[in-house]
Amino acid sequence: MEDTYAVRAVDLSKTYGTGQAEVKALDHVSLTIARGTVAALLGPSGSGKSTLIKALGFVSPADTGEVFFGGRLVVKDGVPLADLASLRRRHLGFVFQKANLTSFLTARENVEIACEFGGKSDGARRARELLEYLDVAGREHSYPEMLSGGEQQRVAIARALANEPSLILADEPTAALDSVRSRNVMELFRRVAHDRGAAVLVVTHDHRALEVFDVIYEMEDGRLRPH
Amino acid sequence: MNLALRDVRRHLARFIGTAAGLGLLLSVVIGMQGIYAGMVDDATILTRAMRADLWLVQRDTRGPFAEGSRLDPSVEARAAAVPGVRTARPYTYQLIQRERRGAVLRIALVGLGWPDDPGRSLPLVRGRHLHQSHGEMIVDASLGLGIGESLTLAGEPYRVVGLTKNALTSGGESVAFVSVADAELIAFDQPAEAAMLERERVVERLRRTDLGRGQPALEDLATSPRWRAPALASPPLAAVLVQADPHRLAEVREVMRSWGDVSVYAQGEEEALLLGGVVQRARMQIGLFTVILTLTAAVIVMMVMYNLTLEKTHDLAVLKLMGAPGPRLLGLVLQQAWLLGALGYAVAYGMGAVVFPMFPRRVLLTDTITLVAPLATMAIVTLASALGLTHVMRIDPSRALEA
Ligand SMILES: Nc1ncnc2c1ncn2[C@@H]1O[C@H](COP(=O)(O)OP(=O)(O)OP(=O)(O)O)[C@@H](O)[C@H]1O
Ligand SMILES: [Mg+2]
Repeated sequence: MEDTYAVRAVDLSKTYGTGQAEVKALDHVSLTIARGTVAALLGPSGSGKSTLIKALGFVSPADTGEVFFGGRLVVKDGVPLADLASLRRRHLGFVFQKANLTSFLTARENVEIACEFGGKSDGARRARELLEYLDVAGREHSYPEMLSGGEQQRVAIARALANEPSLILADEPTAALDSVRSRNVMELFRRVAHDRGAAVLVVTHDHRALEVFDVIYEMEDGRLRPH
Repeated sequence: MNLALRDVRRHLARFIGTAAGLGLLLSVVIGMQGIYAGMVDDATILTRAMRADLWLVQRDTRGPFAEGSRLDPSVEARAAAVPGVRTARPYTYQLIQRERRGAVLRIALVGLGWPDDPGRSLPLVRGRHLHQSHGEMIVDASLGLGIGESLTLAGEPYRVVGLTKNALTSGGESVAFVSVADAELIAFDQPAEAAMLERERVVERLRRTDLGRGQPALEDLATSPRWRAPALASPPLAAVLVQADPHRLAEVREVMRSWGDVSVYAQGEEEALLLGGVVQRARMQIGLFTVILTLTAAVIVMMVMYNLTLEKTHDLAVLKLMGAPGPRLLGLVLQQAWLLGALGYAVAYGMGAVVFPMFPRRVLLTDTITLVAPLATMAIVTLASALGLTHVMRIDPSRALEA
């Protein structure tokens, strides 16, 4: 079991602000995501979903608790025990609500730069393949602002896949898309998880596509429970 | 993948516009330095061209350029008699103003110690040095006179035989060189009539003596312009230029210092005096301008680099989130700053090549300027990107997750 999970969080807690303004964004959250599974994270606004994503993605750590990655303790009580930037560029992929592509790079360059950060040598070829896989190869020389929302999101997913990550974190990736495209994106995540053995955690408000997911979690007031 | 170039490519027009602006500013800084260097060069060209070891001037003056200096003509012979002195030649210097074809010519007239010094040491660009002790002159090309043209001074024509370039005083007057005897004639602008009558009178007297009849050559001597009628006071010199045996220079200098009527300056000291007196204020002014303009350029580059970085904040946060190595992002800012500096310098260089020759004052781009300017530019843009760099370091990758 040890080597089949991508990420494991144990007893994460995080508090924003102090006194009157104190918000408990994570309240003793524990969770394990196995490789090859797609997990959904539901919950009302302000329940702590993004905070959990940031903690699992080594972007801003929780105050207390532990995060294991690939069998290794990486963050303990907010203190990094490894080079987090290096972890992110080699093993993690992010997809956000808005595509968040680098505005001065073309679609293909956006994917290529991720390959480069991850130490992949044949970035240009990989980028083209990924864009083909996601059906946006025709727009590879376009800048993000010239792409539609759906195209941008697919390029962003291609970028997240660039380094064959073991964990993909997606925070409301379909919020800007219509329901057909949104369903396509979710199915894409499923394909990525099952084809490539990645663990995928997707924050979503869209209850219509839930059958795509292997596991569904729900958050409320910083606490996590199965759906 | 070079992120800096990719970003520049996306905002090419604005980047080039900024570089052009920086270039104009730099060209002003370089121009100021060039004008100053030109001024120093102009100021010292006169002393340098004379190739003297020692300058004897009127006691306690800083003459002859910084202030007037009047030496008794006997100093020349006295100096020549000092052991170790190779040559001692008289030197005069005065500003004259003449009209020619309706235009006012301001001329700094330098007397060369004929026959020892016919102007061989002058940097001639055309023509030749003086071949005759009287009636020939070497002028600076800036006067607008051509070889063979003549100018009437003190009632006598002076033919231009040689042209120099950039022989200007610190005040910008063009320099003309004549023999020292001619210079004195012109200086005192004695009515030609008086001089001629006096010469004729002497010749008359000579012819009435046995000596005169026996040695006709004396007549020529008396009619020579170098000969001075006793009735007309012998005019003073501005300086006496001494060349001495190198190993006896100190000794010669000691002897001359003991004379009560002269001050002795070495070539370098004379130049320093000239620079100190005449160019000092310009040096301060130009120095201050340079500092202000350099600071302005630095501040502008700093704000431009900061703004370029600021508006990329989100892009940079995303790259950080993706785990971009720190040096890659800092390199993005630094490389753009360097590119801006290099383009700016290229613009300044091109501007200078086109515009500086049209300046009324000479812009002299010395080796130091052409070497220091690009290095200083790169140093400035590097320092100026500090603000942008600190911003890059402060960007929080989690900002990328916020919509
Ligand atoms: N940087 C912050 N400073 C202070 N409070 C914060 C910060 N980020 C989040 N919070 C608070 O923490 C709580 C959880 O925020 P979080 O962004 O994780 O919610 P969420 O579940 O992602 O909500 P949404 O569905 O609206 O995106 C909220 O009450 C929020 O106001
Ligand atoms: Mg959120």
